[in-house]
Amino acid sequence: MTGFASWKSSPIVLGVVFFAALLLLWESAVRFGWVNPFFVSRPSLIAASLSREVQSGELQRNLAVSLGEFAIAYGASVMIGILTGLLAGRFCTLEYILDPFLWFLYSAPLIAFYPIFVIWFGLGAPTVIAVSFLLSVTQITASTLSGIQNVDPGLVRAARSFGASERDLLWKVILPASVPMVIAGLRLAIGRVLMGVVVAELFGATAGLGFSIAYYGGLLQTTNMLASLVVVVVLGVLCTQALSALEAHFSYWRTDLRI
Amino acid sequence: MAHARNTVAYRRTVSIVAVLVVLAVWEIAPRVGAIDPAYTSQPSKVIAAGIQIVRSGGLLEDISVSLAEFAAGFALAIIVGVPLGLLLGTFRVLRYLLDPPIMAIYATPHLALLPILVVWLGIGMQSKIAVVFVGGVIPIVVNSIAGVREVESSWIAAARSLCAREWDVFAKVILPASLPAVVLGIRLGLSRAVLGVVVAEMFQSQAGIGNRIMRYGSEFRTDYLLFYVLLVSVFSFTATWSVRALEDKLWTSGK
Repeated sequence: MTGFASWKSSPIVLGVVFFAALLLLWESAVRFGWVNPFFVSRPSLIAASLSREVQSGELQRNLAVSLGEFAIAYGASVMIGILTGLLAGRFCTLEYILDPFLWFLYSAPLIAFYPIFVIWFGLGAPTVIAVSFLLSVTQITASTLSGIQNVDPGLVRAARSFGASERDLLWKVILPASVPMVIAGLRLAIGRVLMGVVVAELFGATAGLGFSIAYYGGLLQTTNMLASLVVVVVLGVLCTQALSALEAHFSYWRTDLRI
Repeated sequence: MAHARNTVAYRRTVSIVAVLVVLAVWEIAPRVGAIDPAYTSQPSKVIAAGIQIVRSGGLLEDISVSLAEFAAGFALAIIVGVPLGLLLGTFRVLRYLLDPPIMAIYATPHLALLPILVVWLGIGMQSKIAVVFVGGVIPIVVNSIAGVREVESSWIAAARSLCAREWDVFAKVILPASLPAVVLGIRLGLSRAVLGVVVAEMFQSQAGIGNRIMRYGSEFRTDYLLFYVLLVSVFSFTATWSVRALEDKLWTSGK
């Protein structure tokens, strides 16, 4: 990642201008007949399709379904992932028990479990939530665990030697010190949840952004398909930016503490 | 943290026992009727399915299809991603120009591109290669950029003050110093690429591991499905592990 320095003045202007130029090139390439609009559509048509979907309420419906699934899967995985990571970080036996399963879940193509989830939960929202939850909880547990394991042992020893109880140690040293890793885990997980929601919806759902992409794809309506894809891209950028901002806030706070 | 039970032997024993317990419960629960075996299958059935799949001879064909798509897409991702990342890391203006599109693709779930790639490239191997490429190339580019930018500036200044030419600075200082980050990018891209090939085949295809997973899933053959999923997991794990070993080697040789 290029960091924050690049977001000052000239880079942002250059970026925006280049982006606008790309859109213009896309639009004119199709208008002048250099590219077949069936394959790539064009920005103005996509914008028109989006505004039509907003007026008919189709976009809001799909967005509500996807965001609902997203919120449940992410919320549950944040709670369970952080709790499991904390416990595994405190009790090494639990860590050793979970270790092989975390490794498996980390390297398995989890979306391939989708057909099994369909057998368990049927087509639709529960399956989408289950796949996304699994993708996300693995990441959050692993990050929280490594955050706790990487707490500076000097800090722990110092607190102990000043007579800190186990509870003080947890709340005043270990938790605050592992916050940056936990937040990094949350940021990585948000991308995985979004992926889980959209991809599971591609396969079998009756509503949602992924469903709408697959639906219009099946009808070969490129414009409408790209319109839904644009919404997914915007959603992804917003989520990642929000978590990056949170991350920056917390690492700022940490360097402040270190004086 | 100080743990009394920090020994490697203890760790290994606990992990192995945990896995064995889960496998035992998974095997026994359907036998005593606690869960329907159609939902979860059983370890013994998965093994039996594996033996049957290997004997029937179709496995090699599926593996070769999936592996070919993966290899083509990922090789392309490395060939394009590494030079592009090094270039963007070196030239600031270029980076400013391409930063917004790259960040947008990075934040987007790349598998959402599947339907449009199928429209563009058809349901054959090309669309899978494209998905693998898109999944793999972005982490490679982003980490290569970071690798170049994090090269110690005093090393570059030192090389310059010793009259190194621009090309020498690049080839002898920047390139070796950013290599570990490049390999990290390749490792991160790897798991996305493996996921890409499987999911793309599950979405629309005529052959390959993902195709089998989807087919056996819709036939409720949980045992067959799990065997294929396990196969991909082992591949993904081994590939990631080998790149990580390479990474460790580079880090230690660099310091």
